Amino acid sequence: MRANDYEQATDFELARMGSEGDEAAFAEIMRRYSPRVFRFASRYFRQRELVEEAAQEVFLKAFTQLDSFEGRGSMEGWLTRITTNTCLNLLRSARRRPELTVSDLTEEENTWLDEKLADVAAERHESSERSIVAADLAGRVLETLSAEDRLVLTLVDGEETPVKEVAEITGWSESKVKVQAFRARRRMREAVEKLLARRRA
Amino acid sequence: MRDEHIMSIIESAPLNALSESDVAKIRAHTQSCPECLRAFEAAQLSALLLRERAAVEAEPSPFFQTRVLAALRERQAQGAGLSFKRLWKATGALVSTMAAGVAALALLTIFAPGPQPTVGPQSQQAYSAYSAERVIFEREALPEDQMSYGQVLATLYEPEEDR
Repeated sequence: MRANDYEQATDFELARMGSEGDEAAFAEIMRRYSPRVFRFASRYFRQRELVEEAAQEVFLKAFTQLDSFEGRGSMEGWLTRITTNTCLNLLRSARRRPELTVSDLTEEENTWLDEKLADVAAERHESSERSIVAADLAGRVLETLSAEDRLVLTLVDGEETPVKEVAEITGWSESKVKVQAFRARRRMREAVEKLLARRRA
Repeated sequence: MRDEHIMSIIESAPLNALSESDVAKIRAHTQSCPECLRAFEAAQLSALLLRERAAVEAEPSPFFQTRVLAALRERQAQGAGLSFKRLWKATGALVSTMAAGVAALALLTIFAPGPQPTVGPQSQQAYSAYSAERVIFEREALPEDQMSYGQVLATLYEPEEDR
């Protein structure tokens, strides 16, 4: 089979060929979906190496489960479920930070917090500019939470994924997603509040 | 106490998904409650941080596919080795016992002495010193203190009254 043929093949055909050991077919699946898997995994890990490790694990798992892909749903959804479970397992096995303290913050993060607090006070929510500093700080705060809290906050509050879809991705019930999100929001808010209180002190 | 204020509203949904009436309640309450105001500010910052986190983009490195395929082959090779190990673990004891049994039988076959012709106790009885068979078949080798063939026949056919 030529490279062009793989590009023309459907996801289902590639999965069939891949499950029979055709590495080129599997490589084509990776070419199509690795950007999506990377984007998804990067929500959960700050370090680039961890994102790459998670993405690699996702595709290794996907390869062994290719024969279970029946083509009824999209391969993107199928891979998203594998990515979610893989990230959740990796987050569970990773050590949780006990707490984020003021001394842990970089100068840039302190500056960002000052600016955003001023924005919040002045109700200038829309003016926020996306920055590496904020993303990194968010990652550090999230590292103090449980794997389940991080997952649900990232999906529901961060990506604005509907509860029903989160339930499908995670395999949780919709009620569990809602309850988990409610509690996770509280824990995240408390972590930020503590950090701000220490800065004020 | 604080739980009775606006906490449940703040945590019920992502902040940008709250209804206008909920937001109005929060604003009204935080004007007179500094504690809830701090909590609301923290919630706003949390929401902002989460949105910033969600905007992070990471691209796969150019060698990502090559690395995954290499890792895949490595795992497959490990898997093959592991399955042999697993098989050996499951059947090793049985196979070892069987091999030891076969070796013991081979040793016995090679080194043990062959079966000797034996005379059973009944045969020995039959060949007792004074049996008629012995007298008849081995008459040449009879010791002198024993009866001769002729004497035996004479004894056997001697009329009753003569005895």
